[in-house]
Amino acid sequence: MARIKRGHTQMITQMKVRGLMFDPYNNAYIVILRDEDNAEMLPIWVGKSEASAISFALENVAAPRPMTHDLMKSILDAVEAKVISIVVTDLSDNTYFAKVHLSYEDSEYSVDSRPSDAIALALRTNAPIFASEGVLRKQTSEELEQWLENLKPEDFGRDET
Amino acid sequence: MDTHETSELVPLKVHGVLPDPNTETQIVILRDERNSEILPIWVGAAEGNAIDFALKGVTPPRPMTHDLIRSFTEHFNTTITRVVVTDVKNSTYYASIHLQAGEIERTVDSRPSDAIALALRTNSPIFVTQEVLKRRGGGSLEAWLERFEAKDFGKHQV
Repeated sequence: MARIKRGHTQMITQMKVRGLMFDPYNNAYIVILRDEDNAEMLPIWVGKSEASAISFALENVAAPRPMTHDLMKSILDAVEAKVISIVVTDLSDNTYFAKVHLSYEDSEYSVDSRPSDAIALALRTNAPIFASEGVLRKQTSEELEQWLENLKPEDFGRDET
Repeated sequence: MDTHETSELVPLKVHGVLPDPNTETQIVILRDERNSEILPIWVGAAEGNAIDFALKGVTPPRPMTHDLIRSFTEHFNTTITRVVVTDVKNSTYYASIHLQAGEIERTVDSRPSDAIALALRTNSPIFVTQEVLKRRGGGSLEAWLERFEAKDFGKHQV
């Protein structure tokens, strides 16, 4: 059980979810995170159900029955746990890692998560989303630019929030 | 749990997860201990997989969504005491998840798929009310079962 001290030991940058796109090359979805100044961009590939969980929250769609991340929030609400923030912490072998920081009773906790789940939860709890400097540095910008060149402008417009 | 509710609850086990050949959904088969009752619940592909992974003891390299929920409850010493399939309306099943954190007990509304995926990860008992079993619609169940051949059951049996 990881109890964290207040404050983060690593430099982190606050990010916003800018949109969600379909990646036809990988048959997956991409969550686009950007910082406030649009200086940093972090694309995260996610599965279909995670993408739909993020999309529902972005578009403020309330499903007739609670979806899995709505249930996650209900359970946290029921025990009066609060999501403080989520942080995309690491990138290793093309897999992104995240932490969900929560407060419960008088303690703070840090829980290992996939970024997709962490983001879906952050959007439902209005918790800030951060990326560590390490992750922003690690992601190969060249590869990203190459990939972006393949996209048409309308792909961006369609899903942007 | 009040005594009235207790008397009407039937414990169920997850018997298996089957792909529905007619749609993109999956079917979770719940049975009682004597195998005299069967309750099939249609679930989405992601939820079906989440249940199937837990049944087969598959541990994915990264925590899946229900693993994260379990992780939260473990961190907060919160126990899932039981999950109950409570109602069915217009072919939609309803469930509740019963939580205990110290002295505090809470009940959370859930789809049965999430409740079952979570129960399997926390070794929590799964119940259905007698009322739901009565109203699940026997006729359509028979028709549905006929569409499966015996081998389909064998393959997915746990």
